[in-house]
Amino acid sequence: MVSKNVTVVNKSGIHARPASELAKVAMKCKSEVTIVAGDKRVNPKSVLNLMAAMIRCGTEITVECNGETEQEDLDTLVALIESGLGE
Amino acid sequence: MKRLYAPKTASRGIVTGKVYVKQEVNLEPCGDKIPEELVQAEVNRFLKTKEEVKAELEVLAEKNEIFGAHLMMADDFTLEEGVVSKIRVEYLNAELALSQTVEEIAAIFDMMDDAYMKERAADVKDVGKRFMANLKGVQAGDFSDIQEPVILVARDLFPSDTARLNLEYIKGFITQEGGVTSHVSIMAKGIGLPALVGVEGILEAVDNGTLLCMDASTGEIFVEPDEETLAEYRTKQQEYESWQKMLEQVSQLPAETTDGRRVSICGNVGNVEDVQNAVNHHVDGIGLFRSEFLYMESSHFPTEEEQFEVYRKAAELCPEELTIRTLDIGGDKELPYYEFDEEENPFLGWRAIRISLDMKEMFKTQLRAILRASAFGTIRIMFPMIISVEELRGAKAVLEECKAELAAEGIDFDAGIQAGMMIETPASVLMAEELAEEADFFSIGTNDLTQYLLAVDRGNKRISGMYNSFHPAVLRAIAKVIRAGHAAGIKVGMCGEFASDAKASVLLLGMGLDEFSMSSGEASNIRYTIRNLSYARAQEKAGKVQTCRTIEEVMGILG
Repeated sequence: MVSKNVTVVNKSGIHARPASELAKVAMKCKSEVTIVAGDKRVNPKSVLNLMAAMIRCGTEITVECNGETEQEDLDTLVALIESGLGE
Repeated sequence: MKRLYAPKTASRGIVTGKVYVKQEVNLEPCGDKIPEELVQAEVNRFLKTKEEVKAELEVLAEKNEIFGAHLMMADDFTLEEGVVSKIRVEYLNAELALSQTVEEIAAIFDMMDDAYMKERAADVKDVGKRFMANLKGVQAGDFSDIQEPVILVARDLFPSDTARLNLEYIKGFITQEGGVTSHVSIMAKGIGLPALVGVEGILEAVDNGTLLCMDASTGEIFVEPDEETLAEYRTKQQEYESWQKMLEQVSQLPAETTDGRRVSICGNVGNVEDVQNAVNHHVDGIGLFRSEFLYMESSHFPTEEEQFEVYRKAAELCPEELTIRTLDIGGDKELPYYEFDEEENPFLGWRAIRISLDMKEMFKTQLRAILRASAFGTIRIMFPMIISVEELRGAKAVLEECKAELAAEGIDFDAGIQAGMMIETPASVLMAEELAEEADFFSIGTNDLTQYLLAVDRGNKRISGMYNSFHPAVLRAIAKVIRAGHAAGIKVGMCGEFASDAKASVLLLGMGLDEFSMSSGEASNIRYTIRNLSYARAQEKAGKVQTCRTIEEVMGILG
């Protein structure tokens, strides 16, 4: 398993639009992906779970990937979150 | 013949035709537990439905972004896992499993302490309905059997309904529920079809094929009209249509009185689509561009880039002057991503320019975006809710700061951009002479001005009758502001509802108002009225009204 910490930069946190952006990319990842925010563990392949987690701007989250394509998936997701999820 | 009355007109027009009633379908889950050997078949049934729902939504998503979000939810594995596990573990049938899972997910959103997220619960439920309709094999509002012109009658109409309609066959809308700001109202207005909403008893009164006359201007509906009424309405419809045609011709002529006084008829708009609509109505400019929608329809404070794109598009659509009002929130308008403190008196509270001056960075973001867009058209900036010279100076100082920044960054903007203000507080009326020396233009907001001057909350049913812009105090205030503006050599406009009141036109014209700004649909009406008035006679009437003591005396002069 590989993991990396990243800070959410979207002004209003992972709201509806950024959540769908993240979910869309996460769904394409072949490895098992988890986002850890505080005591919450969320599967980002579900937009509903992501929105329900209400991750705010400035929160440091950990992205964990586990599986054959883990390093590639981790890099993609971290870059996406750092870039502001399309916003 | 039966006569019904609708208190609320959503969109004007007169039409006679046969009724088509939208079939309401029962989307309650039915059935019960299933035996173990049928579990896999039930799971498969749900998965097949999911593919059907996704295919439907993919088509809809091309036209409307809402359905894109619905598609994501339909495809979400949380939904699938919930349903499938209820089938496998609890032996529920797919309908029951779906309904419980949707309720659970919606409840999570509903419990959130965030207005925006609470609304997502409605989206989840809407997606749930689509699944249920497919599972049960019922078509929710399938209108494919409409093969001739009809008047569509429904309990209510949703975006997913109207997306399926073939508008070529629709002559009008009547709904039993819904308000004038509902989806169907806005759509009907946009395409110019008559619509009445909130019509109690309409569903009991008609069936498919019932003949019906509707006059959406007066709110009258005749079910199974007799020959006499039919003939009367045929004439009315022709008159209405030729009147519309005449207005269409007038709309392209200048708003000039019979004795040569020319005024501007402008549009009030709430988004970029409205600007296009106003331009189609041949307005002489945009007198009020409400920037709130940018903030209210967003999930965050809109960035400079996001705002710039919108203002630039609006400026390019509107070749004439475009007046952008800076953010006017607070009062009854809130933002989903910003928590406002509870206020005892929100209309006298932290709102409009008060927020902008307190949250300077946010204000600067907006002003910079407007300034950058000013390189692409003729933009004016308007500050809302000003009560003092200090506030006007404060707002203008921030504007100057933004100009200096942009100049230093080498970014283009209109250096001579006009900065004016709304007159909507009693204080600004009393200080009009001084304010006029420092503002580039005035625009009178009669809705708030009337409410503040008369101390009448028009949302309060018991006293809403006292809310009347023909009150002599309001008329004197308007006249004073116009005099003060003209003495300082600036233009005075009006962007409240009073500007589109045909009866008030003669007074406002006579007082010297330069610009009448209103929702685009009313523009041609007022243009026609102005073209048939004499400025000299209007001035005479306006003079007489200044000494009136009562509303009754005012109305007496107006006749």
